[in-house]
Amino acid sequence: MAVPAPRSGKTESYVDNKRKDDIRMANIKAARAVADAVRTSLGPKGMDKMISTASGEVIITNDGATILNKMDVIQPAAKMLVELSKSQDVVAGDGTTTVVVIAGALLKQCQTLLRSGIHPTVVSDSIYKASLKAVEVLTAMAVPVELSDRESLVKSASTSLNSKVVSQYSSLLAPLAVDSVLSVVDPAKPDLVDLRDVKIVKKLGGTVDDTELVKGLVFDKKVSHAAGGPTRVENAKIAVIQFQISPPKTDIEQSIVVSDYTQMDRILKEERNYILSMIKKIKSTGCNVLLIQKSILRDAVTDLSLHYLAKAKILVIKDVERDDIEFITKTLNCLPIANIEHFRAEKLGYADMVEEASLGDGKIVKITGIKDMGRTTTVLVRGSNQLVLDEAERSLHDALCVVRCLVNKKFLIAGGGAPEIELSRQLGAWSKVLHGMEGYCVKSFAEALEVVPYTLAENAGLNPITIVTELRNRHAQGEINAGINVRKGQITNILEENVVQPLLVSTSAITLATECVRMILKIDDIVTVR
Amino acid sequence: MAVEKLFKDEATEEKGERARMASFVGAMAIADLVKTTLGPKGMDKILQSTGRGHSVTVTNDGATILKSLHIDNPAAKVLIEISKVQDDEVGDGTTSVVVLAGELLREAEKLVGSKIHPMTIIAGYRMASDCARRALLDRVKDNKDDAEKFRLDLMRIAMTTLSSKILSQDKEHFAKLAVDAVMRLKGSTNLESIQIIKKAGGSLKDSFLDEGFILDKKIGLGQPKRIENANILVANTAMDTDKVKIYGARVRVDSMAKVAQIEGAEKEKMREKVQKIIGHGINCFVNRQLIYNFPEELFADAGILAIEHADFDGIERLGLVTGGEIASTFDNPESVKLGHCKLIEEIMIGEDKLIHFSGVEMGEACTIVLRGASFHVLDEAERSLHDALCVLSQTVNDSRVLLGGGWPEMVMAKAVDELARKTPGKKSHAIEAFSRALIAIPTTIADNAGLDSAELVAQLRAEHHKEDSNAGIDVITGAVGDMSELGISEAFKVKQAVLLSATEAAEMILRVDEIITCAPRRREDRM
Repeated sequence: MAVPAPRSGKTESYVDNKRKDDIRMANIKAARAVADAVRTSLGPKGMDKMISTASGEVIITNDGATILNKMDVIQPAAKMLVELSKSQDVVAGDGTTTVVVIAGALLKQCQTLLRSGIHPTVVSDSIYKASLKAVEVLTAMAVPVELSDRESLVKSASTSLNSKVVSQYSSLLAPLAVDSVLSVVDPAKPDLVDLRDVKIVKKLGGTVDDTELVKGLVFDKKVSHAAGGPTRVENAKIAVIQFQISPPKTDIEQSIVVSDYTQMDRILKEERNYILSMIKKIKSTGCNVLLIQKSILRDAVTDLSLHYLAKAKILVIKDVERDDIEFITKTLNCLPIANIEHFRAEKLGYADMVEEASLGDGKIVKITGIKDMGRTTTVLVRGSNQLVLDEAERSLHDALCVVRCLVNKKFLIAGGGAPEIELSRQLGAWSKVLHGMEGYCVKSFAEALEVVPYTLAENAGLNPITIVTELRNRHAQGEINAGINVRKGQITNILEENVVQPLLVSTSAITLATECVRMILKIDDIVTVR
Repeated sequence: MAVEKLFKDEATEEKGERARMASFVGAMAIADLVKTTLGPKGMDKILQSTGRGHSVTVTNDGATILKSLHIDNPAAKVLIEISKVQDDEVGDGTTSVVVLAGELLREAEKLVGSKIHPMTIIAGYRMASDCARRALLDRVKDNKDDAEKFRLDLMRIAMTTLSSKILSQDKEHFAKLAVDAVMRLKGSTNLESIQIIKKAGGSLKDSFLDEGFILDKKIGLGQPKRIENANILVANTAMDTDKVKIYGARVRVDSMAKVAQIEGAEKEKMREKVQKIIGHGINCFVNRQLIYNFPEELFADAGILAIEHADFDGIERLGLVTGGEIASTFDNPESVKLGHCKLIEEIMIGEDKLIHFSGVEMGEACTIVLRGASFHVLDEAERSLHDALCVLSQTVNDSRVLLGGGWPEMVMAKAVDELARKTPGKKSHAIEAFSRALIAIPTTIADNAGLDSAELVAQLRAEHHKEDSNAGIDVITGAVGDMSELGISEAFKVKQAVLLSATEAAEMILRVDEIITCAPRRREDRM
């Protein structure tokens, strides 16, 4: 876009409003185009998108945040919608498509309002008020849930999973997500969950059915096989080391001067002795499993040291990333060791079993039966191809987030478009009490919310108009939990169908979408800068 | 005979009328660009960067918009400059100053068109601005002695500043945050000790003020996560390896054992260094550079909390607020000033873990944690809050307060009008024009809110004809209202700066009668 050139010679204080309207409309149009792109992936019968990235990689996904993230849009307003779905991902983890669809519908309504000559700030303030009211209504609708009520948690996790590729596995994945989140909740801080304590390890091969929750650690790595070291250790004493078992290297540049043949022999022998003495020290503490951190400065282990370690019957896992060390030490309840001198028995972790298992074409290492295990879990995700595997991971992440939302805010709400229709009805009634422009704008807001059930029905191949009108009718009669049952293709009490979602997902979708729409409304110019 | 060629090939020269026109048009174009952001119902702009990544900023802040523009017109650059100065000096009113200067030039253009000499205009403007300033001084309120009223004033100013920004919906919340933060400073204008941390997630309302200092870093492995009565050593030293920094230094040995010995010696050196650091009697060590695994473990063994990789800004602030000095040698424990605080603990905001230092030595220090839906929102919120903080800290020193909502402009316009009537000669035209330019500000505010500006401003003028009127534009109801009842206030310092710098800028541009553009320096990559 060109720099707005200094408007030549115009001297009256007349502002050329035409252009500003054009920019606003262009922004709204661009943002709506983005919303339309993901609209069809909403709901349990939503479709997936295939994205082929610039690097030639192919991704198939149903996750709104992922689709938008890969779309690579440049139009600034469209970009804001992408950001919006990212924020929803951060806040709630699920509902990333919903939030964009709602924003798109709101923008559509705003377009009509603006055309009828209402000032953008009036629209913006009114929809903000409407969103506050909407959150109130939602909170009133919500049902409190206890963390001990595992069944409800599983239900909400499976609602989230139902719209994904892996929906047929939701009976397996949902309890898994619930268990893994619940096991990392710290009783001291019952409202907080750090999802970083749940590690997802992907391994190609098998089917999604084989996905399992591991009470312990899983490494997507091979045990070092040099010289026939052990691949299975019972009653393991595990050390996490951050030093290297290789010939010494100083930080100052060094060179060893070899002047004759005998010296060469001696150096080789010394090297061997040096490593041997290190390994002896390690062995003397009773350690039989070593996790070695990757080193960029020099080889963490050499063939020679691996050989000796194998002789000493020590299982070695090498190239552990530094970032993972915290998770590992937390799980194993041990301390990392940064120097051979500090290698003491009290820094070791204990586990019943460390073993290498072959899965598909690769191998993994499992550590189970950890003594005094920290509050962490690992989920091993399997899938028959890379695409399924990635999508399974994303879906699982969403499910984990859903459970986390419930831990943060312990309320459930019905799914299947029920809350949106109810909101639309109550806000519509409220708008009649308001005066002036405000009432008009709130009414549009209420209408915009119907997009969710409408799209759900549309994506499921139902007649959206029949469904939405019937829904309205049922809600008017006081059935606030009536929603679309996509599987049966009719309207039922959605709470009985076990379609539930956390309150946080719905409320944050509404507030975030409103915030984003307001921002787009307030923009009247695009300025190109350095 | 005229000189054939005075300048280089590509240099251009514009003279007299043309030069003046060029600078008028340039300056007015800039003013028009930011004009729509003025007032509580002002609009935002998208700044789209042409650089890599096409990053997008959404803002309402005049200074931010102007700073990032590509501008060739020299007069426009002058306006950008005054907006920058306004930002540095008082922090707010960056849009107003540009709009006022633009209006002054617009009026001047008409006067020049009716054959009034620029110097006469300048003289008139000077008299007018002096008179306007005095008119404001007559009407200022000063509640310095009454602490409660003063606080109310501050709250009002903060709310007025914030009402034109993204934070307007939660302005009360943020006004309280800003006032609390500034009151802690106890009169200093050093905004350094107010730290703003942005964390995506949550909504703007979840933002909060926290006493103490928050560092966005992680605590080392196996180290205590909570320390009471902490003695903090803030350092900038290499904790990976102590290299001999002599170029080309290298070690020559003839056996492996010796290499091992040297390695051992290096380790020993590091251990000694750590021992020295521990010898300071500390229980928290913050380093700007990396702390490698080995020393990290040593610290963990000694039960010391070590934080690595604190960025430069972070440690300077930390040093400031905890009262410690940044150390880089550790030989003389007695000469190093340690920082102190009552409690260090790990807290969680959103999804991230941060380190919180509370009960710090410098009581003024505090942290504002901003939460918001996206980075656009957060960045804009930070800019808005910064404006409010600047204005407030200025007001704490100069507690004179004015009403807002176009009130000061109307007061000034009235006084200037009277002056125009009394002044004989051509100057009076210029003075009258000045008053018209002042009225353009309430006009713009009304226009931006989609109100009938001609009607409102006429009403406002009639109101102000009475003595001691408090009338201003109430944008929310779209009518003329009593500003003191609505609680809309502005700092005198801001208004004065707007008035004076806008007049000066207009004067400067008016004086120009020739623009010489030098030949651009050639660059290699030019096509």
